[in-house]
Amino acid sequence: MTTSFLLNEQLVQSNSDPITPLLDVLRNELGMTGTKQGCDHEGECGACTVLLDGQPVRSCLTPLGRIAGRSVLTIEGLGTEGNLHPLQSTFIEVGAVQCGYCIPGMLLASKALLDREPHPGRAQILSALEGNLCRCTGYTRIVQAVELAAQRLQNPQAALAPASRPIGGSALRSDSLGKVTGKAEYAEDIKMPGALHMLVVRSPHHHALLRGLDASRAANMPGVKRIITWRDIPNLNGFPDYSLEEPVLTPVGDTLRMRGAPIALIVAENEEQAAAAREALEMDIEALPYTFDMDEALKPGAVHIAGDGNELSRYAVQRGDLEGALRASGHIVEATFETAFLEHTALERESLVGRIDEAGRITVLGGTHQPHNQQRYIAEMLGLPLDQVRVIVPPVGGSFGGKQDPWPFAAVGLATYLLRRAVRLIYSRRESFDASPKRHPYRVQCRIAATNDGKLTALSARIDCNTGGYDGAGRYIPNYAVTAMGGAYRWRAVDILARSVYTNGPKSGQYRGFGTAQSTFALECALDELIEKLGVDPVEFRLRNCIGQLEDVFLGYPLLDTLGYAQVLKAVKPHYQQFAKEAESFNKENPGGSVRRGVGLSGMWYRFGKAGSLKVEAHAELAGDGHFIFYCSAPDYGQGTNTVMSQMAAEALGVGRERVEIVNADTGRTPNSDIQGASRATFFVGGAVKEAAAVLVLSIFDVAAELLDVPIERLVLMADKVAIRDNEHSVPLSEVAREFDRIGKSRRVSGSFDLTPQLPEQRPEYLPLFITGAHLADVRVDMETGVVKVLRVVAAHDVGRAVNPLDAAGQIEGAVVMGLGAALQEEYLPGLTDGISQYQLPTSSAMPDIQTILVEVPSRLGPYGVKGLGEAALLPSTPAIINAVSRAIGSRLRTIPATPERVLNAIRGRRP
Amino acid sequence: MIEYVTPSTIDEALAVLAAHPNQARILAGGTDLLVDLRDGKMQAQVLVDITRIPALNQIQVGGRSVEVGAAVTFATVKNYEYFQNHVPMLAEAAGSVGAPGIQNSATWVGNLLQAMPAADGAIVALALEAEVRVIEPAGADWRPVTTIFAGPGRSAIDSSWQLITHLRFPIPPAAWGTAWQRIGRRSALTLPIINCAVKLELDRDRIQHAAVALGPVASTPFRARAAESFLEGKPPTEEMFEQAGQIAQGESMPRSNPLRASREYRLAIIPVVVRRALRIAAGRARGWKSQ
Repeated sequence: MTTSFLLNEQLVQSNSDPITPLLDVLRNELGMTGTKQGCDHEGECGACTVLLDGQPVRSCLTPLGRIAGRSVLTIEGLGTEGNLHPLQSTFIEVGAVQCGYCIPGMLLASKALLDREPHPGRAQILSALEGNLCRCTGYTRIVQAVELAAQRLQNPQAALAPASRPIGGSALRSDSLGKVTGKAEYAEDIKMPGALHMLVVRSPHHHALLRGLDASRAANMPGVKRIITWRDIPNLNGFPDYSLEEPVLTPVGDTLRMRGAPIALIVAENEEQAAAAREALEMDIEALPYTFDMDEALKPGAVHIAGDGNELSRYAVQRGDLEGALRASGHIVEATFETAFLEHTALERESLVGRIDEAGRITVLGGTHQPHNQQRYIAEMLGLPLDQVRVIVPPVGGSFGGKQDPWPFAAVGLATYLLRRAVRLIYSRRESFDASPKRHPYRVQCRIAATNDGKLTALSARIDCNTGGYDGAGRYIPNYAVTAMGGAYRWRAVDILARSVYTNGPKSGQYRGFGTAQSTFALECALDELIEKLGVDPVEFRLRNCIGQLEDVFLGYPLLDTLGYAQVLKAVKPHYQQFAKEAESFNKENPGGSVRRGVGLSGMWYRFGKAGSLKVEAHAELAGDGHFIFYCSAPDYGQGTNTVMSQMAAEALGVGRERVEIVNADTGRTPNSDIQGASRATFFVGGAVKEAAAVLVLSIFDVAAELLDVPIERLVLMADKVAIRDNEHSVPLSEVAREFDRIGKSRRVSGSFDLTPQLPEQRPEYLPLFITGAHLADVRVDMETGVVKVLRVVAAHDVGRAVNPLDAAGQIEGAVVMGLGAALQEEYLPGLTDGISQYQLPTSSAMPDIQTILVEVPSRLGPYGVKGLGEAALLPSTPAIINAVSRAIGSRLRTIPATPERVLNAIRGRRP
Repeated sequence: MIEYVTPSTIDEALAVLAAHPNQARILAGGTDLLVDLRDGKMQAQVLVDITRIPALNQIQVGGRSVEVGAAVTFATVKNYEYFQNHVPMLAEAAGSVGAPGIQNSATWVGNLLQAMPAADGAIVALALEAEVRVIEPAGADWRPVTTIFAGPGRSAIDSSWQLITHLRFPIPPAAWGTAWQRIGRRSALTLPIINCAVKLELDRDRIQHAAVALGPVASTPFRARAAESFLEGKPPTEEMFEQAGQIAQGESMPRSNPLRASREYRLAIIPVVVRRALRIAAGRARGWKSQ
């Protein structure tokens, strides 16, 4: 049966079954991959939005039969690179595009709005975008882009040209053009005719013993190429420094410690055949008792999951005389804080392709923070030398730490190795909810104390971190938990112990902030309780107790770099005073009313930079045509590293950004810049890029000096030539390149950023580099239902130096809304939450007015004075909101998410 | 392969159903049915897409009642000027369903057929005291909307041989007002913790008639009959609304759902949403002008 319809004004025909979702027809049959899929064909994300006769619909829920004879507009028909729709231009200009996965749907929903309402108010825009989920931007810049496009449609004016600006000037992203036109090729969009399809067989139980596995029947099913089990792993069935005892595939005789634990891989010609074979796989599984609760897991005689008594690791810091300090304190707050499992829910699911590259290497393409680590895990699993494995990071639809999981890379690497054929793995969203790492739930029991005159004295904390069924880097978590717990504050005595504990919950792993956001929530909320008791100003209190530049931090060593905390607090102070005054007068004018306002403040410090080594390398090359190519491994999963690296390279070379090309995150082409985590890319990799640029300039001058016959000191690098200062002679860079080749000199050089010489030989395991920030939230609480609306947020961060202020602000706005989700809405309940429809991500109408303040206290070590930002921006968001709600209702909230039910219980004086 | 038919008249649609006993199903918006088919919760060999039958795409406002076709989407209902001006709870409830991109496909009648105790479309239809026109081989008749809810997620209408063509609800002759309240974990893409639709008819300063619908507080979409009886004949005052809310709470039997809210929380907010809805509806009734 043939169905004809108009697609982007062209008549097209489809031979698919008329029940096939339009999304699948577009992507699989017509090869139009600009339309994205983020959920399991259930209409829960909005990424697949297209216009049907001008109206936005979910293409995943629109059967092909329905569109016969009708008109469909997809992103490919909205505007092209040379002829962008005003919305596409403004989305790029205001920085509304981060990972880009939601953008096609956002653009089309926005177009439908502007078509029917040329002058939409902000509420209309938020309402029109409601249900089109975005995890990166906090919606702020998307709304701004729609507002600007509405103006521009009325008064046409030239769009901003992609600027060639040095660092510190907001730069348009180099890769946004592909993302707003649907041309960007994410892993799921890579066309590979003949690629095999892989499905994973996973444990349906939270805890079970795998007693037997018989693949003989499944292996003979039609289209099945191979059933892969643990026996097929050539060398190492695990992830050495990532996860203790976590297998790539669970061996028979071992336990499956969580729902979703991997058992086997099924590779077939297509998905249906793989699914049929999955049903036919015979497994003998014995369900075991399980628990999600850390107390249960730690009890003597508890069901054994892993480790010593189900404890994975611990870390402790003790300094000073705690009991003495407590005795000397006039005010003590004792409280227990609890947080939930969180799911990153990047709009792009785990999606990878494997193939054999032209050099015969096992090649895996997919979103990750650490291509070289993934390369190493795959090589160790297969027993191959590193150079026979290659990992490439294509454009990535968001990560937030979730895509640090090496498991999908190992699975695809294994199948590619065994079959020597192209293989595709795409998690379903439900599978992603079951099997991808989560944020560790914490329980923090703490006591904090201050003297009557407002000086902090003592801090004690017992922190339990739920690592779920597997380690997933959870063994490093207690250290981060402890470090964040003390903050940038001066304590006379501290006693902090953190443990990570196995349960049968989902494996916890990296999540924006890596274990620091939960401690920050506990610390900053406990501080606010103490401040309320003392009746003092929250900004002044923090300023007063903030450590000085030359003091030791509570961990027992001095700061290595500048600390901007006081400057950050001073930046929010006037806003705090204004908000507090307004909330107070609102509450006065509405006495006994059903609505109350509250203002909350939270500070933050975050230790950044340690995830990888102290020495990072990047390469710079003079291309044959005279432009510059930089090679580095700072994967861009939406946060903007491609742009930042090109800015820093251009700045270092003294040329425009259009002369610079970035090759990023491909182990076959780029040097190892180590893992990208702990917000280190701009600082470390940026430093290496800057250094590589300096080395390249010298190398170019060496050659050009010969060509021009002048000393190096007289040379100056221009956009496309080397010139002689105060002289009209010059030589084109393309000619310089030819001279390199003629004399046999490499046009590619290496530069490295190395902190080793800056550090004493005896140094702490983690670098004493800290970034700080403070958020201020203004909330409105419905006192009869407990429903909270966050109205305004002011967010200030010390970024050292903002390389791209537009993107820095975008990172902060996205983090504010992500923190809002954690504060009020999001929780993954093991055994209950089985997909995105049951996970309450913030939608557009949750967006508060956000004002960002970039404080610049330059780093002494980072290139151009930069520090980290991406993760830190999340930390103060949640506690600021919770402190605001607690102050509004006059009762302290200590468990997140603060659902309407928890808020109402707190209002009514029951246990929050 | 599933056969997909797009009839252009009601008779054609019925003929397809008759030709494929137990194998064909009516498909309207499809936002639930397609998910159920994919998950294997529902089976069909033939899908009968009724969205291109002109008669089913109409809204007809008469002097005494309004008729809405089975293919009318929530987006159409939400944006329909008459509803925005005269039946605001209906426009508001339609705007609560899923998200705008869902409302452009999902139909009001289809939402009723899901028979979910929390369905926004069902709750508002109950408060409007709506009827549905059911065609089956034996003939066509109008039935109260309450008769199609057989249990949680179970409809008394079998779309393999029965077709709802229209929904209609009466327009009261005198001053009346409506209101919609909804509390959820977020404002879109989520089922409500509690939703509530209220219709009030005033006779000078007395409540002549009240319809109070609540979800999800029972196994089917629920009308708070005791609260309604209490209100009738009473003055539309805050005190009466407060008491009506308490009565509605007493007759509700919500369940706990760890993903949304506990029974206790739902009970706690029922008086609040009922009182607020009554207050708004009464205000709108006072401002009523005959059309």
